[in-house]
Amino acid sequence: MPTRRQVLAATAATAASGGVSGCLGAEKNVAGRDQPSRMTLTITTLPADSDPHAIRIVRHLAEHLEAVGIEPRIRTVDDAGLYREILINHDFDAYVGQFPSADPIDPDALYSLLHSSFVAEPGWQNPFGLTDPAIDDLLDRQRRADHEDRRRAVAELQDAVARRQPFTVVAFPDMLTAVHDDRFIGWERTRPATSEGLLELDANAVVGTMTDDEGRDGEPTDEEPANGEDRDGDPTDDRRLRLVTTDSRITTNRNPIAPEHRRYGTFTGLVYDPLVRAIDGEEVPWLARRVVRVDERTVRVEMREAVWHDGEPVTAADAAFTYAFLADTSLGKAETPIPSPRFRGRSTLVDSATAIGDRTLEVRFTDAAAATQRRGLTVPILPEHVWRSRTDLVELPAGITINEMTTEAQVWENPDPVGCGPLRFREAEADERVVFERNPAHAIAAEPESFPERVRGKPAFETLELRVVPSDVAAVQQVGDGLADASTSNLGPDAVPRIGREAAARLVSQRSGAFYHVGYNTRRVPLSNPYFRRVLARLLDKAALVGSAFQGYARPTASPLALSGSWLADELRWTDGDPATPFFESDGEFDAAAAREALREIGYRYDENGALLVPDSAE
Amino acid sequence: MIVVISVVAWLFIVVASLCLVVGMALLDRGRIARLQTNLRRYPWELRREILGLLAVLAASAVGRGALQSVSEVYGWRATGTIVAIEGQFVAWVQASLFSPIATRYFSWIYIYAYVFLLVFPVIVYGSRRTPTTLRRLLVAYALNYGIGLIVYTIVFAHGPRNVMPDLVTSLLFTYNPDFQELAAQVNENANVFPSLHTSLSMTVATFAYRTRGSDPAWAVLTAWIAVSVWIATMYLGIHWLIDVLGGIVLALGCVAAAVRIVDPDPRGEDGSVDDAGTNAE
Repeated sequence: MPTRRQVLAATAATAASGGVSGCLGAEKNVAGRDQPSRMTLTITTLPADSDPHAIRIVRHLAEHLEAVGIEPRIRTVDDAGLYREILINHDFDAYVGQFPSADPIDPDALYSLLHSSFVAEPGWQNPFGLTDPAIDDLLDRQRRADHEDRRRAVAELQDAVARRQPFTVVAFPDMLTAVHDDRFIGWERTRPATSEGLLELDANAVVGTMTDDEGRDGEPTDEEPANGEDRDGDPTDDRRLRLVTTDSRITTNRNPIAPEHRRYGTFTGLVYDPLVRAIDGEEVPWLARRVVRVDERTVRVEMREAVWHDGEPVTAADAAFTYAFLADTSLGKAETPIPSPRFRGRSTLVDSATAIGDRTLEVRFTDAAAATQRRGLTVPILPEHVWRSRTDLVELPAGITINEMTTEAQVWENPDPVGCGPLRFREAEADERVVFERNPAHAIAAEPESFPERVRGKPAFETLELRVVPSDVAAVQQVGDGLADASTSNLGPDAVPRIGREAAARLVSQRSGAFYHVGYNTRRVPLSNPYFRRVLARLLDKAALVGSAFQGYARPTASPLALSGSWLADELRWTDGDPATPFFESDGEFDAAAAREALREIGYRYDENGALLVPDSAE
Repeated sequence: MIVVISVVAWLFIVVASLCLVVGMALLDRGRIARLQTNLRRYPWELRREILGLLAVLAASAVGRGALQSVSEVYGWRATGTIVAIEGQFVAWVQASLFSPIATRYFSWIYIYAYVFLLVFPVIVYGSRRTPTTLRRLLVAYALNYGIGLIVYTIVFAHGPRNVMPDLVTSLLFTYNPDFQELAAQVNENANVFPSLHTSLSMTVATFAYRTRGSDPAWAVLTAWIAVSVWIATMYLGIHWLIDVLGGIVLALGCVAAAVRIVDPDPRGEDGSVDDAGTNAE
């Protein structure tokens, strides 16, 4: 630290020069003061192999941080590690990642993301540590309000969030998938990497018959992508959907409530069924046959006849257990409730759920508008006979620190998941592959007429095999070689052009709600300062990033609700640049001088080398 | 998996052909004859070294996943520090050398020449009068792998291609995704420090330097390949400069230790079997 050294050197020089007694007071004053230190900012993210976009956003931000005198530190971690550090240990300065929902979100999803009451909880519950009464009020208001009142509250909320910038929305990426149409079609109807998307796929009837003939042939060479029908040593499996991903978490952990192991919960979302499933924005009674409103706060759910994958019957008691369990995974054993770290926002909508018959459930909601209440019915239902024994408290292995007690349920790997959904687990090899199979006992097969047409009689595959590949480029190569039907993880700038060169592969692009954002740990100085966070947000040239990091397959945004239809506040609509936190630019270039000036204006200082200093009494 | 098998088969064919051609060029008839006799004796005579190396390799294959998990939780996250120290050096290497021919050359070096470099010393040193150098080489290999595995566990960092994809293209894997499948089978992408490619090639180069008196051509060939491997690890975006430097230090340490551990063979006629001898250069 040159500053400190210079100060010390100056002090020594003064002492040596003679006038000792007269200067001692001043020296004492200098030495007794904390010397400001240069600011460093650590940005945590995934390596390019796991997420080709995030690291490019980090690099862009790091470059601009450096230009304004802040030393950036890039911290790369693995998938589970990233979310362990951010969501569980809250051990980060800033991170770049995606919001964990492939579908555009309901405004109420912001409730658990930002409400101060979740500040100590693990999971996607206020990982930023934001505690702001005005935002809490608006979150509560939008939850209770209906129609126009809610719209106003949501608009005000977006504005308040934009001004405080607990996180900076960078862009909504397109969900890009390399597909091979040989066996399955319908990829462009919906988002292929979501539960509902996989459910809606159709078998390719034409080629389906052809593959039988091919079965007799010898080993196909992998040089022939066009008819590269690889059996992978399993010739009996005709209707096998083969997916590739760079995310290996599902091969080792299949716990639906472990937030550090789930991305969108695509596969656990098909193993576990909710009472009501949202399909393309429409709420479809799923495990529920019918939902009848009793009064303002209460509904009665009639459940279908169903069995768990292990043969036990699904009862209303299971559903009642699930709601109690999500609200407190220790079921009262812990001093204070330990809620499930996933589905937290939705579980707070449900006050109580009571079984009033074998298959009849009465759900009482908390104080929320009817339209919002229904989100509470979309959580997955868990079997009581499996999860009740997981409600004990555990001591975590050292190193994973957590600011409260943890139940076994939260850290269980759930190796052999028992759900009642349309897919059931078959087998897995850690970090290699996982295989699911169609559940023939599911109502979607037994009584297809009671389901909407696009999912009737689905899934179209008998088995679903997800294989782990080392990178997005390798994923595209697998699809191009006919060894996989589709890729489900993100495809970056190195992989996308490759799809065009592979004769058998095709690029499918869908809007994704999983917006990329820079999240700030507002518990830490200097990120606790909203003015500072706003300056950081203005270091991002979102429009340029869409071009460089996403090859144009994204849209820059200023609000997390930019894809949520009419919920987007008019003031935050992206027109010609960022309406809330405009990029510091002049003549199309980054204007570092303007950014430095903005930092000075909000009270920050620089040393003589142009390094930004951490404000006094930091940390 | 099918892809990986074809890559391995091709690798085997190329390396075997290289060994054959270079062996014919470098070794005279007498040494080839001695190699044949030695190959019958050495597996038993050098069983301790061979078993030691196999044990380390097996431990690496079996324990790598578990150690990686330990590294993920407890490892020192070093990426940021490495970038802070060396900045964009690797990007500069790639930008200044970039050409399609360079990419082909360095990819070839990184995969085929490297494996050749590790295998061929067995032929060179297996055809010497005493097995001392071969013993030391095997011990040094085992030390490299063993220490490398430990440092991998302590240091958790990703390579330049994973950290600055805007500046450093993942040249090897972007043009040969099959190699990445292969690499993923034998290593983790968070194992970058130290570069074992560098340390093992440096180990071979150091031994070749020590025996330059009796095998001058081999010393020159080794130096050429080893330096190419170091540049390749950076040019292809896989390793940082610090990883390469760390690999060189590791290699020198392992060779020094191996020379200390393995005494010269008492049958050695002049006591300088391992060293360059009097007629160096």
